Amino acid sequence: MTALSRDRGPLRPRIIWIMCWRELLRYRRDRSLIFGALSRTVLWLVILGFGLGATLREIEGYSYAQYILPGVVTLNILFASLQSAMALVWDRGTGLMRAMLVSPAPMFSVALGKILGGALVAMIQGSIPIAFAPLIGLELSPSDLLPALLVMFAMGVTFTGMGVILASRTRTFEGFGGISNGVIQPLYFLSGAIFPLKGIIGGVGFLDLPETLRAELRDRGLYAIGGGWVVELPDWLRILVQCNPVSYFLDLLRFNLIGFNQLPLGLGLATTLILPVVSVLLATRAMAGIRRIEAPPARSR
Amino acid sequence: MNIIECDDLGRSFGPTVAVRSVSFSMARGAFLGLLGRNGAGKTTLLHMLTTLVAPDHGDARIDGASVRSEPKAVRAAIGMVFQDTALDGQLTARENLTIHAALHGLRRREAAAEIARSIAWADLEEAADRPTRALSGGMRRRLELARALMHRPRLIILDEPTLGLDTQGRRDLWRRIAGLRESGLSVLMTTHNIAEAEACCEIGVIDQGRLVARGSPAELSRRHGGMGLEEAFLRLTTPGPRDTALPLHAPTDEGRIRRIAR
Repeated sequence: MTALSRDRGPLRPRIIWIMCWRELLRYRRDRSLIFGALSRTVLWLVILGFGLGATLREIEGYSYAQYILPGVVTLNILFASLQSAMALVWDRGTGLMRAMLVSPAPMFSVALGKILGGALVAMIQGSIPIAFAPLIGLELSPSDLLPALLVMFAMGVTFTGMGVILASRTRTFEGFGGISNGVIQPLYFLSGAIFPLKGIIGGVGFLDLPETLRAELRDRGLYAIGGGWVVELPDWLRILVQCNPVSYFLDLLRFNLIGFNQLPLGLGLATTLILPVVSVLLATRAMAGIRRIEAPPARSR
Repeated sequence: MNIIECDDLGRSFGPTVAVRSVSFSMARGAFLGLLGRNGAGKTTLLHMLTTLVAPDHGDARIDGASVRSEPKAVRAAIGMVFQDTALDGQLTARENLTIHAALHGLRRREAAAEIARSIAWADLEEAADRPTRALSGGMRRRLELARALMHRPRLIILDEPTLGLDTQGRRDLWRRIAGLRESGLSVLMTTHNIAEAEACCEIGVIDQGRLVARGSPAELSRRHGGMGLEEAFLRLTTPGPRDTALPLHAPTDEGRIRRIAR
Protein backbone atom coordinates (compact mmCIF):
# COMPACT_ATOMS: atom_id res chain seq x y z
CA MET A 1 0.00 0.00 0.00
CA THR A 2 1.42 3.39 -0.99
CA ALA A 3 1.78 6.25 1.44
CA LEU A 4 -1.09 8.20 -0.10
CA SER A 5 -3.68 5.53 0.39
CA ARG A 6 -3.07 5.86 4.14
CA ASP A 7 -2.99 9.68 4.23
CA ARG A 8 -6.31 11.42 4.54
CA GLY A 9 -5.57 15.14 4.18
CA PRO A 10 -6.20 16.93 0.87
CA LEU A 11 -3.11 19.14 1.22
CA ARG A 12 0.00 17.23 0.10
CA PRO A 13 3.02 19.57 -0.22
CA ARG A 14 4.99 17.16 -2.40
CA ILE A 15 2.16 16.84 -4.90
CA ILE A 16 1.67 20.62 -4.95
CA TRP A 17 5.38 21.05 -5.59
CA ILE A 18 5.57 18.37 -8.29
CA MET A 19 2.63 19.89 -10.20
CA CYS A 20 4.23 23.31 -9.92
CA TRP A 21 7.54 21.89 -11.15
CA ARG A 22 5.79 20.30 -14.10
CA GLU A 23 4.34 23.67 -15.17
CA LEU A 24 7.75 25.32 -14.92
CA LEU A 25 9.43 22.52 -16.90
CA ARG A 26 6.81 22.73 -19.61
CA TYR A 27 7.27 26.49 -19.78
CA ARG A 28 11.04 26.19 -20.04
CA ARG A 29 10.70 23.78 -22.96
CA ASP A 30 8.01 25.65 -24.86
CA ARG A 31 9.79 28.60 -26.45
CA SER A 32 6.64 29.71 -28.24
CA LEU A 33 5.29 31.05 -24.94
CA ILE A 34 8.31 33.30 -24.43
CA PHE A 35 8.14 34.33 -28.08
CA GLY A 36 4.45 35.21 -27.65
CA ALA A 37 5.19 37.36 -24.60
CA LEU A 38 8.06 39.13 -26.38
CA SER A 39 5.98 39.72 -29.46
CA ARG A 40 3.06 41.17 -27.45
CA THR A 41 5.51 43.41 -25.59
CA VAL A 42 7.07 44.73 -28.77
CA LEU A 43 3.71 45.18 -30.44
CA TRP A 44 1.95 46.94 -27.59
CA LEU A 45 4.69 48.66 -25.65
CA VAL A 46 7.14 49.62 -28.36
CA ILE A 47 5.07 49.97 -31.52
CA LEU A 48 1.75 51.10 -30.06
CA GLY A 49 3.38 52.86 -27.10
CA PHE A 50 5.69 54.98 -29.20
CA GLY A 51 3.36 55.18 -32.21
CA LEU A 52 0.24 56.33 -30.37
CA GLY A 53 2.43 58.09 -27.84
CA ALA A 54 3.66 60.42 -30.61
CA THR A 55 0.08 61.67 -30.98
CA LEU A 56 -1.09 61.58 -27.37
CA ARG A 57 2.22 62.84 -25.96
CA GLU A 58 1.26 62.52 -22.29
CA ILE A 59 -1.42 60.94 -20.14
CA GLU A 60 -1.58 62.63 -16.76
CA GLY A 61 2.07 63.44 -17.02
CA TYR A 62 3.26 60.00 -18.11
CA SER A 63 4.30 59.01 -21.60
CA TYR A 64 1.81 56.72 -23.30
CA ALA A 65 4.32 53.85 -23.25
CA GLN A 66 4.79 54.33 -19.50
CA TYR A 67 1.03 54.47 -19.02
CA ILE A 68 0.36 51.20 -20.86
CA LEU A 69 3.31 49.25 -19.40
CA PRO A 70 1.21 47.78 -16.54
CA GLY A 71 -1.46 46.94 -19.12
CA VAL A 72 1.02 45.01 -21.25
CA VAL A 73 2.20 43.17 -18.12
CA THR A 74 -1.44 42.33 -17.41
CA LEU A 75 -2.06 41.17 -20.97
CA ASN A 76 0.88 38.77 -20.74
CA ILE A 77 -0.39 37.46 -17.41
CA LEU A 78 -3.90 36.91 -18.78
CA PHE A 79 -2.56 35.05 -21.82
CA ALA A 80 -0.14 32.90 -19.81
CA SER A 81 -2.73 32.05 -17.17
CA LEU A 82 -5.34 30.95 -19.66
CA GLN A 83 -2.79 29.10 -21.78
CA SER A 84 -1.68 27.14 -18.75
CA ALA A 85 -5.29 26.30 -17.97
CA MET A 86 -5.92 25.41 -21.62
CA ALA A 87 -3.29 22.67 -21.34
CA LEU A 88 -5.76 20.97 -19.00
CA VAL A 89 -8.18 20.42 -21.90
CA TRP A 90 -5.47 18.58 -23.83
CA ASP A 91 -4.26 16.85 -20.69
CA ARG A 92 -7.69 15.42 -20.01
CA GLY A 93 -8.10 14.06 -23.49
CA THR A 94 -4.72 12.63 -24.35
CA GLY A 95 -2.25 13.61 -21.68
CA LEU A 96 -1.09 12.95 -18.18
CA MET A 97 -4.29 14.04 -16.47
CA ARG A 98 -5.92 10.63 -16.89
CA ALA A 99 -3.00 9.03 -15.05
CA MET A 100 -3.50 11.60 -12.30
CA LEU A 101 -7.20 10.84 -12.11
CA VAL A 102 -6.57 7.15 -11.45
CA SER A 103 -3.96 7.90 -8.79
CA PRO A 104 -4.89 8.31 -5.13
CA ALA A 105 -3.53 11.89 -5.13
CA PRO A 106 -6.08 14.39 -3.75
CA MET A 107 -7.29 16.63 -6.56
CA PHE A 108 -7.11 19.63 -4.26
CA SER A 109 -3.32 19.33 -4.17
CA VAL A 110 -3.06 18.50 -7.88
CA ALA A 111 -5.17 21.55 -8.76
CA LEU A 112 -3.40 23.83 -6.30
CA GLY A 113 0.00 22.82 -7.69
CA LYS A 114 -1.19 23.40 -11.24
CA ILE A 115 -2.61 26.82 -10.37
CA LEU A 116 0.48 27.94 -8.46
CA GLY A 117 2.73 26.69 -11.27
CA GLY A 118 0.57 28.44 -13.86
CA ALA A 119 0.67 31.63 -11.77
CA LEU A 120 4.48 31.49 -11.52
CA VAL A 121 4.72 31.09 -15.29
CA ALA A 122 2.28 33.98 -15.72
CA MET A 123 4.38 36.13 -13.39
CA ILE A 124 7.53 35.34 -15.38
CA GLN A 125 5.71 36.13 -18.64
CA GLY A 126 4.42 39.35 -17.08
CA SER A 127 7.97 40.33 -16.12
CA ILE A 128 9.11 40.40 -19.75
CA PRO A 129 7.61 43.87 -20.48
CA ILE A 130 9.11 45.13 -17.22
CA ALA A 131 12.56 44.36 -18.65
CA PHE A 132 11.75 47.02 -21.29
CA ALA A 133 11.14 49.69 -18.61
CA PRO A 134 14.48 51.53 -19.12
CA LEU A 135 13.66 51.83 -22.84
CA ILE A 136 10.58 53.89 -21.99
CA GLY A 137 12.30 56.01 -19.39
CA LEU A 138 11.31 54.13 -16.25
CA GLU A 139 13.81 53.22 -13.58
CA LEU A 140 12.36 50.69 -11.19
CA SER A 141 13.89 49.99 -7.80
CA PRO A 142 13.56 46.66 -5.95
CA SER A 143 11.06 48.36 -3.63
CA ASP A 144 8.86 49.10 -6.68
CA LEU A 145 9.35 45.65 -8.14
CA LEU A 146 8.67 43.43 -5.15
CA PRO A 147 5.08 44.58 -4.50
CA ALA A 148 4.49 44.63 -8.26
CA LEU A 149 5.58 40.98 -8.50
CA LEU A 150 3.23 40.06 -5.65
CA VAL A 151 0.29 41.71 -7.43
CA MET A 152 1.29 39.92 -10.65
CA PHE A 153 1.42 36.57 -8.85
CA ALA A 154 -2.01 37.19 -7.28
CA MET A 155 -3.36 38.05 -10.73
CA GLY A 156 -1.78 34.87 -12.13
CA VAL A 157 -3.38 32.73 -9.41
CA THR A 158 -6.78 34.35 -9.99
CA PHE A 159 -6.79 33.91 -13.74
CA THR A 160 -5.15 30.49 -13.88
CA GLY A 161 -7.86 29.41 -11.43
CA MET A 162 -10.56 30.95 -13.62
CA GLY A 163 -9.05 29.20 -16.63
CA VAL A 164 -9.03 25.88 -14.78
CA ILE A 165 -12.73 26.33 -13.99
CA LEU A 166 -13.47 26.91 -17.68
CA ALA A 167 -11.15 24.10 -18.81
CA SER A 168 -12.72 21.64 -16.37
CA ARG A 169 -16.04 22.13 -18.13
CA THR A 170 -14.71 22.22 -21.68
CA ARG A 171 -13.85 19.14 -23.70
CA THR A 172 -12.39 20.63 -26.89
CA PHE A 173 -9.66 23.09 -27.74
CA GLU A 174 -12.01 24.86 -30.11
CA GLY A 175 -14.50 25.43 -27.32
CA PHE A 176 -11.84 26.71 -24.97
CA GLY A 177 -10.30 28.94 -27.65
CA GLY A 178 -13.63 30.68 -28.12
CA ILE A 179 -14.14 31.12 -24.41
CA SER A 180 -10.65 32.43 -23.75
CA ASN A 181 -10.88 34.97 -26.57
CA GLY A 182 -14.25 36.01 -25.28
CA VAL A 183 -12.74 36.42 -21.81
CA ILE A 184 -9.25 37.86 -22.34
CA GLN A 185 -10.16 40.64 -24.72
CA PRO A 186 -13.11 42.13 -22.79
CA LEU A 187 -11.21 41.86 -19.50
CA TYR A 188 -8.21 43.60 -21.03
CA PHE A 189 -9.98 46.36 -22.93
CA LEU A 190 -12.29 47.12 -20.00
CA SER A 191 -9.54 47.41 -17.42
CA GLY A 192 -8.24 50.88 -18.14
CA ALA A 193 -5.12 49.25 -19.60
CA ILE A 194 -4.99 51.43 -22.68
CA PHE A 195 -7.07 54.47 -21.70
CA PRO A 196 -7.60 56.23 -18.38
CA LEU A 197 -10.96 56.56 -16.65
CA LYS A 198 -10.49 60.28 -16.78
CA GLY A 199 -7.53 62.59 -17.05
CA ILE A 200 -5.59 65.09 -19.07
CA ILE A 201 -4.33 63.71 -22.33
CA GLY A 202 -2.00 65.40 -24.75
CA GLY A 203 -0.38 67.74 -22.24
CA VAL A 204 2.79 69.30 -23.59
CA GLY A 205 5.95 69.91 -21.68
CA PHE A 206 5.46 68.01 -18.44
CA LEU A 207 7.67 65.15 -19.56
CA ASP A 208 10.39 67.63 -20.53
CA LEU A 209 10.75 68.71 -16.89
CA PRO A 210 13.45 67.10 -14.74
CA GLU A 211 12.23 63.97 -12.94
CA THR A 212 12.67 65.52 -9.47
CA LEU A 213 10.46 68.44 -10.43
CA ARG A 214 7.86 66.13 -11.97
CA ALA A 215 7.80 64.06 -8.79
CA GLU A 216 7.30 67.21 -6.74
CA LEU A 217 4.48 68.41 -8.99
CA ARG A 218 2.78 64.99 -8.84
CA ASP A 219 2.95 65.13 -5.05
CA ARG A 220 1.01 68.39 -5.31
CA GLY A 221 -1.57 66.79 -7.61
CA LEU A 222 -0.32 68.42 -10.81
CA TYR A 223 0.02 66.01 -13.71
CA ALA A 224 0.15 68.22 -16.79
CA ILE A 225 1.22 71.61 -18.02
CA GLY A 226 0.71 73.30 -21.33
CA GLY A 227 -2.05 72.19 -23.70
CA GLY A 228 -4.10 68.98 -23.64
CA TRP A 229 -7.65 67.98 -23.22
CA VAL A 230 -9.58 66.48 -20.37
CA VAL A 231 -11.17 63.14 -21.12
CA GLU A 232 -13.72 61.27 -19.08
CA LEU A 233 -15.25 57.92 -20.01
CA PRO A 234 -19.01 57.77 -20.49
CA ASP A 235 -20.81 56.44 -17.43
CA TRP A 236 -21.69 53.04 -18.92
CA LEU A 237 -18.05 52.40 -19.86
CA ARG A 238 -16.80 53.64 -16.51
CA ILE A 239 -19.21 51.26 -14.74
CA LEU A 240 -17.98 48.33 -16.85
CA VAL A 241 -14.37 49.19 -16.02
CA GLN A 242 -15.22 49.45 -12.34
CA CYS A 243 -16.99 46.06 -12.39
CA ASN A 244 -13.99 44.37 -13.97
CA PRO A 245 -11.69 42.75 -11.37
CA VAL A 246 -8.70 43.18 -13.69
CA SER A 247 -9.09 46.96 -13.35
CA TYR A 248 -8.24 46.75 -9.64
CA PHE A 249 -5.24 44.46 -10.11
CA LEU A 250 -4.01 46.69 -12.91
CA ASP A 251 -4.54 49.89 -10.96
CA LEU A 252 -2.56 48.54 -8.01
CA LEU A 253 0.13 47.32 -10.37
CA ARG A 254 0.30 50.71 -12.07
CA PHE A 255 0.59 52.37 -8.68
CA ASN A 256 3.52 50.09 -7.81
CA LEU A 257 5.26 50.54 -11.15
CA ILE A 258 4.74 54.22 -11.99
CA GLY A 259 3.06 55.66 -8.90
CA PHE A 260 -0.26 56.44 -10.59
CA ASN A 261 -3.71 55.11 -9.75
CA GLN A 262 -7.31 55.97 -10.56
CA LEU A 263 -9.29 53.59 -8.38
CA PRO A 264 -9.33 53.29 -4.58
CA LEU A 265 -6.14 51.48 -3.56
CA GLY A 266 -8.00 49.74 -0.73
CA LEU A 267 -10.23 48.03 -3.29
CA GLY A 268 -7.17 47.01 -5.29
CA LEU A 269 -5.59 45.53 -2.19
CA ALA A 270 -8.79 43.70 -1.24
CA THR A 271 -9.09 42.30 -4.78
CA THR A 272 -5.47 41.13 -4.65
CA LEU A 273 -5.99 39.38 -1.34
CA ILE A 274 -9.45 37.91 -1.76
CA LEU A 275 -9.89 36.95 -5.42
CA PRO A 276 -6.94 34.52 -5.60
CA VAL A 277 -8.31 32.59 -2.62
CA VAL A 278 -11.82 32.45 -4.08
CA SER A 279 -10.46 31.42 -7.45
CA VAL A 280 -8.32 28.62 -5.97
CA LEU A 281 -11.24 27.25 -3.98
CA LEU A 282 -13.59 27.22 -6.97
CA ALA A 283 -10.94 25.86 -9.33
CA THR A 284 -9.92 22.99 -7.05
CA ARG A 285 -13.57 22.11 -6.69
CA ALA A 286 -14.07 22.20 -10.46
CA MET A 287 -11.01 20.03 -11.05
CA ALA A 288 -12.09 17.53 -8.42
CA GLY A 289 -15.34 17.29 -10.36
CA ILE A 290 -13.46 16.03 -13.44
CA ARG A 291 -13.15 12.63 -11.79
CA ARG A 292 -16.90 12.28 -11.76
CA ILE A 293 -17.80 13.72 -15.13
CA GLU A 294 -15.05 12.03 -17.13
CA ALA A 295 -16.37 9.91 -19.97
CA PRO A 296 -14.41 7.65 -22.28
CA PRO A 297 -13.89 8.75 -25.87
CA ALA A 298 -16.96 7.94 -27.96
CA ARG A 299 -15.19 5.53 -30.32
CA SER A 300 -14.10 3.20 -27.55
CA ARG A 301 -17.30 3.08 -25.55
CA MET B 1 -10.94 -12.64 -1.24
CA ASN B 2 -11.17 -12.02 -4.98
CA ILE B 3 -9.25 -9.09 -6.43
CA ILE B 4 -12.37 -7.94 -8.34
CA GLU B 5 -15.99 -8.39 -7.32
CA CYS B 6 -18.27 -6.68 -9.78
CA ASP B 7 -22.04 -6.62 -9.21
CA ASP B 8 -24.60 -5.30 -11.71
CA LEU B 9 -22.36 -2.47 -12.87
CA GLY B 10 -23.97 -0.22 -15.49
CA ARG B 11 -23.51 3.17 -17.09
CA SER B 12 -25.25 5.19 -19.79
CA PHE B 13 -24.17 8.38 -21.53
CA GLY B 14 -27.36 10.19 -22.40
CA PRO B 15 -29.46 7.82 -24.48
CA THR B 16 -26.49 5.50 -25.16
CA VAL B 17 -26.21 2.52 -22.84
CA ALA B 18 -22.49 1.84 -22.69
CA VAL B 19 -22.56 -0.89 -20.04
CA ARG B 20 -25.95 -2.50 -19.41
CA SER B 21 -25.23 -4.77 -16.46
CA VAL B 22 -21.98 -6.56 -15.76
CA SER B 23 -21.33 -8.90 -12.84
CA PHE B 24 -18.21 -11.00 -12.48
CA SER B 25 -15.42 -11.82 -10.07
CA MET B 26 -11.74 -12.33 -10.66
CA ALA B 27 -9.44 -14.34 -8.40
CA ARG B 28 -6.13 -12.96 -7.16
CA GLY B 29 -3.29 -13.73 -9.54
CA ALA B 30 -5.69 -14.39 -12.43
CA PHE B 31 -5.21 -13.07 -15.94
CA LEU B 32 -8.57 -12.16 -17.41
CA GLY B 33 -9.02 -10.75 -20.88
CA LEU B 34 -12.19 -8.88 -21.81
CA LEU B 35 -12.88 -9.49 -25.48
CA GLY B 36 -15.38 -7.42 -27.41
CA ARG B 37 -15.98 -5.45 -30.57
CA ASN B 38 -15.28 -1.70 -30.67
CA GLY B 39 -18.10 -0.06 -28.77
CA ALA B 40 -19.01 -3.17 -26.78
CA GLY B 41 -18.52 -1.34 -23.47
CA LYS B 42 -15.07 -2.62 -22.46
CA THR B 43 -13.47 0.78 -21.90
CA THR B 44 -16.44 2.15 -19.98
CA LEU B 45 -16.35 -0.94 -17.77
CA LEU B 46 -12.64 -0.36 -17.09
CA HIS B 47 -13.27 3.33 -16.43
CA MET B 48 -15.85 2.40 -13.81
CA LEU B 49 -13.47 -0.11 -12.23
CA THR B 50 -10.75 2.55 -12.07
CA THR B 51 -13.13 5.22 -10.62
CA LEU B 52 -12.81 7.44 -13.70
CA VAL B 53 -16.52 7.12 -14.38
CA ALA B 54 -19.18 6.76 -11.71
CA PRO B 55 -21.55 3.83 -12.32
CA ASP B 56 -25.26 4.57 -12.71
CA HIS B 57 -26.06 1.38 -10.84
CA GLY B 58 -24.28 -1.53 -9.18
CA ASP B 59 -20.91 -1.52 -7.45
CA ALA B 60 -17.52 -3.14 -7.79
CA ARG B 61 -14.94 -3.99 -5.18
CA ILE B 62 -11.26 -3.89 -6.05
CA ASP B 63 -9.10 -5.61 -3.44
CA GLY B 64 -12.07 -5.24 -1.08
CA ALA B 65 -12.58 -1.51 -1.65
CA SER B 66 -15.77 -0.18 -3.24
CA VAL B 67 -15.43 1.98 -6.35
CA ARG B 68 -18.38 4.00 -5.07
CA SER B 69 -17.49 4.60 -1.45
CA GLU B 70 -13.71 3.99 -1.25
CA PRO B 71 -12.35 5.33 -4.56
CA LYS B 72 -9.04 6.40 -3.03
CA ALA B 73 -8.27 2.88 -1.80
CA VAL B 74 -9.24 1.53 -5.23
CA ARG B 75 -6.85 3.94 -6.96
CA ALA B 76 -4.03 2.93 -4.64
CA ALA B 77 -4.61 -0.74 -5.45
CA ILE B 78 -4.54 -0.47 -9.23
CA GLY B 79 -2.07 0.32 -11.98
CA MET B 80 -3.58 1.44 -15.27
CA VAL B 81 -2.36 1.55 -18.86
CA PHE B 82 -4.74 3.52 -21.05
CA GLN B 83 -5.70 2.78 -24.63
CA ASP B 84 -4.05 6.02 -25.84
CA THR B 85 -0.80 7.39 -24.47
CA ALA B 86 -1.24 9.16 -21.15
CA LEU B 87 2.20 10.72 -20.85
CA ASP B 88 3.35 14.33 -20.88
CA GLY B 89 5.14 14.52 -24.22
CA GLN B 90 7.15 17.57 -23.23
CA LEU B 91 8.63 15.85 -20.20
CA THR B 92 11.23 13.11 -20.25
CA ALA B 93 10.53 9.52 -19.30
CA ARG B 94 12.28 10.09 -15.96
CA GLU B 95 10.23 13.22 -15.27
CA ASN B 96 6.97 11.43 -16.07
CA LEU B 97 7.92 8.72 -13.60
CA THR B 98 8.91 11.30 -10.99
CA ILE B 99 5.43 12.83 -11.19
CA HIS B 100 3.83 9.40 -10.91
CA ALA B 101 5.92 8.60 -7.83
CA ALA B 102 4.79 11.82 -6.14
CA LEU B 103 1.14 11.21 -7.05
CA HIS B 104 1.35 7.82 -5.38
CA GLY B 105 3.05 9.19 -2.29
CA LEU B 106 6.43 7.51 -2.74
CA ARG B 107 9.08 9.17 -0.60
CA ARG B 108 12.06 10.76 -2.35
CA ARG B 109 14.58 7.97 -1.75
CA GLU B 110 12.05 5.25 -2.44
CA ALA B 111 10.93 7.13 -5.57
CA ALA B 112 14.50 7.42 -6.88
CA ALA B 113 15.03 3.67 -6.49
CA GLU B 114 11.69 2.82 -8.11
CA ILE B 115 12.30 5.20 -11.02
CA ALA B 116 15.70 3.63 -11.71
CA ARG B 117 14.18 0.15 -11.48
CA SER B 118 11.30 1.09 -13.78
CA ILE B 119 13.60 2.61 -16.39
CA ALA B 120 15.76 -0.52 -16.35
CA TRP B 121 12.69 -2.80 -16.52
CA ALA B 122 11.42 -0.91 -19.56
CA ASP B 123 14.88 -0.98 -21.22
CA LEU B 124 14.84 2.80 -21.46
CA GLU B 125 18.19 3.65 -19.89
CA GLU B 126 19.43 5.49 -22.98
CA ALA B 127 16.12 7.23 -23.65
CA ALA B 128 15.24 8.12 -20.05
CA ASP B 129 16.15 11.78 -20.45
CA ARG B 130 14.51 12.35 -23.82
CA PRO B 131 11.05 13.95 -24.07
CA THR B 132 8.54 11.14 -24.38
CA ARG B 133 7.12 12.61 -27.59
CA ALA B 134 10.46 11.68 -29.19
CA LEU B 135 10.14 8.01 -28.16
CA SER B 136 8.77 5.29 -30.41
CA GLY B 137 5.27 3.88 -29.78
CA GLY B 138 6.78 0.71 -28.32
CA MET B 139 9.04 2.64 -25.96
CA ARG B 140 6.13 4.77 -24.76
CA ARG B 141 4.04 1.68 -24.10
CA ARG B 142 6.87 0.05 -22.13
CA LEU B 143 7.23 3.25 -20.14
CA GLU B 144 3.51 3.36 -19.39
CA LEU B 145 3.54 -0.25 -18.28
CA ALA B 146 6.56 0.37 -16.07
CA ARG B 147 4.83 3.42 -14.63
CA ALA B 148 1.67 1.46 -13.89
CA LEU B 149 3.78 -1.07 -11.95
CA MET B 150 5.94 1.47 -10.13
CA HIS B 151 3.80 1.86 -7.03
CA ARG B 152 3.42 -1.94 -6.74
CA PRO B 153 -0.31 -2.28 -7.40
CA ARG B 154 -2.25 -5.45 -6.62
CA LEU B 155 -4.13 -5.32 -9.90
CA ILE B 156 -2.90 -4.12 -13.26
CA ILE B 157 -5.49 -2.96 -15.79
CA LEU B 158 -4.55 -2.73 -19.45
CA ASP B 159 -6.92 -1.14 -21.95
CA GLU B 160 -5.98 -2.56 -25.37
CA PRO B 161 -2.29 -2.16 -24.57
CA THR B 162 -0.96 -3.26 -27.95
CA LEU B 163 -3.11 -0.87 -29.99
CA GLY B 164 -1.00 0.84 -32.65
CA LEU B 165 2.17 -1.17 -31.98
CA ASP B 166 4.14 -2.91 -34.71
CA THR B 167 4.81 -6.67 -34.57
CA GLN B 168 8.04 -6.32 -32.61
CA GLY B 169 6.48 -3.88 -30.18
CA ARG B 170 3.47 -6.14 -29.66
CA ARG B 171 5.62 -9.20 -29.11
CA ASP B 172 7.87 -7.36 -26.67
CA LEU B 173 4.91 -6.03 -24.69
CA TRP B 174 3.34 -9.48 -24.56
CA ARG B 175 6.60 -10.92 -23.24
CA ARG B 176 6.47 -8.40 -20.43
CA ILE B 177 2.78 -8.98 -19.70
CA ALA B 178 3.45 -12.73 -19.57
CA GLY B 179 6.21 -11.99 -17.06
CA LEU B 180 3.70 -10.14 -14.87
CA ARG B 181 1.35 -13.09 -14.98
CA GLU B 182 4.14 -15.42 -13.90
CA SER B 183 5.02 -13.12 -11.01
CA GLY B 184 1.50 -13.66 -9.63
CA LEU B 185 0.16 -10.17 -10.30
CA SER B 186 -3.54 -9.97 -11.15
CA VAL B 187 -4.03 -8.70 -14.69
CA LEU B 188 -7.23 -7.49 -16.33
CA MET B 189 -6.99 -6.43 -19.94
CA THR B 190 -9.29 -5.57 -22.80
CA THR B 191 -8.72 -6.48 -26.40
CA HIS B 192 -10.59 -6.92 -29.63
CA ASN B 193 -7.79 -9.01 -31.05
CA ILE B 194 -8.57 -12.74 -31.11
CA ALA B 195 -4.90 -13.79 -31.17
CA GLU B 196 -4.23 -11.73 -28.04
CA ALA B 197 -7.32 -13.06 -26.31
CA GLU B 198 -6.11 -16.60 -26.93
CA ALA B 199 -3.02 -15.84 -24.87
CA CYS B 200 -5.15 -14.98 -21.80
CA CYS B 201 -5.84 -17.64 -19.14
CA GLU B 202 -9.49 -16.71 -19.17
CA ILE B 203 -11.70 -14.61 -21.40
CA GLY B 204 -14.86 -12.68 -20.75
CA VAL B 205 -16.79 -11.83 -23.90
CA ILE B 206 -18.48 -8.43 -23.73
CA ASP B 207 -21.28 -7.60 -26.12
CA GLN B 208 -23.65 -4.65 -26.06
CA GLY B 209 -22.70 -3.76 -22.51
CA ARG B 210 -23.11 -7.28 -21.12
CA LEU B 211 -20.74 -10.09 -20.20
CA VAL B 212 -22.17 -12.81 -22.44
CA ALA B 213 -19.68 -15.64 -21.85
CA ARG B 214 -16.67 -16.51 -19.78
CA GLY B 215 -14.12 -19.31 -19.84
CA SER B 216 -10.71 -20.31 -21.09
CA PRO B 217 -10.13 -19.87 -24.84
CA ALA B 218 -10.37 -23.66 -25.28
CA GLU B 219 -13.60 -23.89 -23.26
CA LEU B 220 -15.28 -21.08 -25.15
CA SER B 221 -14.29 -22.62 -28.45
CA ARG B 222 -15.60 -26.03 -27.38
CA ARG B 223 -18.89 -24.69 -26.01
CA HIS B 224 -19.64 -22.61 -29.10
CA GLY B 225 -19.10 -24.74 -32.16
CA GLY B 226 -15.60 -26.12 -31.63
CA MET B 227 -14.27 -24.09 -34.56
CA GLY B 228 -11.85 -21.96 -32.62
CA LEU B 229 -12.14 -18.81 -30.55
CA GLU B 230 -12.87 -16.52 -33.47
CA GLU B 231 -15.89 -18.56 -34.51
CA ALA B 232 -17.09 -18.74 -30.90
CA PHE B 233 -16.71 -14.99 -30.58
CA LEU B 234 -18.71 -14.35 -33.75
CA ARG B 235 -21.48 -16.66 -32.53
CA LEU B 236 -21.60 -14.97 -29.13
CA THR B 237 -21.70 -11.39 -30.31
CA THR B 238 -24.12 -9.25 -32.29
CA PRO B 239 -23.11 -9.00 -35.94
CA GLY B 240 -21.39 -5.69 -36.64
CA PRO B 241 -21.70 -3.67 -39.84
CA ARG B 242 -18.64 -5.51 -41.14
CA ASP B 243 -20.34 -8.90 -40.86
CA THR B 244 -23.49 -7.90 -42.74
CA ALA B 245 -22.28 -5.41 -45.34
CA LEU B 246 -21.95 -6.33 -48.99
CA PRO B 247 -18.45 -6.81 -50.36
CA LEU B 248 -16.97 -3.59 -51.72
CA HIS B 249 -17.02 -4.82 -55.30
CA ALA B 250 -20.33 -6.69 -55.13
CA PRO B 251 -21.66 -7.58 -58.62
CA THR B 252 -24.77 -5.46 -58.13
CA ASP B 253 -22.65 -2.39 -57.58
CA GLU B 254 -20.18 -3.05 -60.34
CA GLY B 255 -21.83 -0.87 -62.94
CA ARG B 256 -22.27 1.99 -60.50
CA ILE B 257 -18.66 1.84 -59.36
CA ARG B 258 -17.52 1.94 -62.97
CA ARG B 259 -19.72 4.97 -63.61
CA ILE B 260 -18.30 6.80 -60.60
CA ALA B 261 -14.76 5.90 -61.64
CA ARG B 262 -15.34 7.35 -65.08
